[in-house]
Amino acid sequence: MKTSTSIQRKLMRMIALTSGAALMLTCASYFVYEFFTFRQAMISQLTILGEAISTNSTAALAFQNSDDAAETLTALKSDKHIVAACLYDKEGTLFAKYPSALPNSIFPRVPQEESFHFENTHLAGFQNVIQNGKRLGTLYLRSDIGAMYERFQLYAVIAILVIGFSFLLSYLLSKRLQQRISKPILALAKTARDISKNDDYSVRVVKLDDDEVGVLTEAINQMLTRIEEQTEEILSLNQGLEQKIIDRTSELQAANKELESFSYSVSHDLRAPLRSIHSYINILSEEYGEKLDNEARRLIAIVTSNSKKMGQLIDDLLAFSRLGRRELLRTPLNMNSLVSSVWEDQIRLQERSNVKLSSADLPNAVGDSAAITQVWTNLISNALKYSRHKECSMVDIGHFQKEDMTVYFVRDNGAGFDMKYYDKLFGVFQRLHSAKEFEGTGVGLAIVQRIVTRHGGTVWAESKVNEGTTFYFSLQNKSVSD
Amino acid sequence: MAILRVIHLQIIAILLCGLNCAQGQKQAAPEYQVKAVFLFNFAQFVEWPPSAFSETNDIIIGVLGENPFGNFLGETVRGEEVNGHPLKVQHYAKIEEIKACHILFINLTEALEIKHAITNLKPKHTLTVSDVDGFTAQGGMIRFFNEDKKTRMRINLPATKDAELKISSKLLRLAEIVSSKKQQ
Repeated sequence: MKTSTSIQRKLMRMIALTSGAALMLTCASYFVYEFFTFRQAMISQLTILGEAISTNSTAALAFQNSDDAAETLTALKSDKHIVAACLYDKEGTLFAKYPSALPNSIFPRVPQEESFHFENTHLAGFQNVIQNGKRLGTLYLRSDIGAMYERFQLYAVIAILVIGFSFLLSYLLSKRLQQRISKPILALAKTARDISKNDDYSVRVVKLDDDEVGVLTEAINQMLTRIEEQTEEILSLNQGLEQKIIDRTSELQAANKELESFSYSVSHDLRAPLRSIHSYINILSEEYGEKLDNEARRLIAIVTSNSKKMGQLIDDLLAFSRLGRRELLRTPLNMNSLVSSVWEDQIRLQERSNVKLSSADLPNAVGDSAAITQVWTNLISNALKYSRHKECSMVDIGHFQKEDMTVYFVRDNGAGFDMKYYDKLFGVFQRLHSAKEFEGTGVGLAIVQRIVTRHGGTVWAESKVNEGTTFYFSLQNKSVSD
Repeated sequence: MAILRVIHLQIIAILLCGLNCAQGQKQAAPEYQVKAVFLFNFAQFVEWPPSAFSETNDIIIGVLGENPFGNFLGETVRGEEVNGHPLKVQHYAKIEEIKACHILFINLTEALEIKHAITNLKPKHTLTVSDVDGFTAQGGMIRFFNEDKKTRMRINLPATKDAELKISSKLLRLAEIVSSKKQQ
């Protein structure tokens, strides 16, 4: 069991208990010794008294002088504890008694064997009166044991005083002596407490003695030194690591920037020759179209379409890389009007009529207007595109709160995808459907993810093949500095 | 055991006497039974000089004159001894017969006879006892007398000193003491 008693109190209690127990035992054994020796002493005292009386009453018994015998007995009044005494003649009849006023019935009717023994409240017994080896009669003596009680009372008072005084002395002594043990331990405990409270390992415990506590103190000091060394080591290691991370990050950032500017310049520089290819193909088909046969015209059409596709790719790539370079301009956005204008544009663009939009009242947000418009555009166009084979495209736009973010979602009833390819969903140029089935470059969702991430949010999706897909993106409720 | 036997005999003697006193001189009156025991007890409370035992080692209790104790005295002292001296009873008709005697009960009535007996007693260290009036005045040592139906003693201390007898102070305490020769 754990106790919160301090070691100081424990030590003092221990000392007090030990000395108390020893004292009690000593007093008890003295008491027992006293009890028996005093009883013995009482018996021998009474025997001596009896012998004196006997010796003095021989003649009285021999010459049948009971008056003289009674007078001899009155000498007993000098001992106040003798309550009764009597003499029997050698025939065993009562001869003289003390005090003379006592009735005869108080005394034993006939004398018994020579011995003294303790009765409840008395010590009593018989002693033969002998002259020249001849028994002349018997003496009976009865003493109260008040003397014994008086003695024991005195003894108890002395014992209580001794015990009390010894306790006081042992308390005072232990109070001083226990400090030699408890002081270094308490100092140790205090230091340990300070260390764990302040995390200050530079503190050292002062060694007071060369005993076990001294050894403990030394061991703790050594441990503290070791901890301090290790802490320093860890700190310097950490600092090195941090520096390394900073270095690597800046290296990475530089590499990234280089890569971005490279891809931008590549895609930008690619546009010029492509445009030239495009214009010359146009000239070719317009100027020489009539001179060419059908097969040549078909081939020219393929070149035209592919160069257009390549132009689209380069545009998308440029848009994507521009996103990484451009600063975001945060303004309050009315999401409802944003969504409805994007929806109108996409219906017109994709020339759709079999569509149905159910949109909830969306809360306003803070973000870059053009970028967020791009997010809505990509998600809504995807929803319309992948659900166009359905009888009616059902698009559901809504929102909910998740922690301190507002989550917007766009749900369609389109083709959906297999969730096991989810990892590829937001990759650049990654496509889960063939271009024949659904046209596209595979950059749209990558752009969405990039914009949302730069706004401090996340994008995710849930889908089931042929049942539809739901895209979610979260934005912080309050504007945050990028 | 001897004491018990004496007690026994005493009781029997008292009973027998009470029933039939006409059995003659062998039976002692109760008063003399007490006196017989006293005579025996004197042996315990009186100290004789060693020369008193030059003739015999026994302590001899003598009765001069008519024997009032019957055989009770003999029974009382039979087998008893004090300080290594066995007790014996002797009866004397004349004072001249006495050679060695330690306690002598003089049962004479005539004052002249008594005077004669005391002056003609040969052994030096004899305790003389009697119950005759004026016994101590005539030079006797211990006289029995009755008081409140009890037997008391009067002791002629100078006479005992003359006889070199030491009487225990315990015995003296019980007795009336006649200490000067004038009082005799």
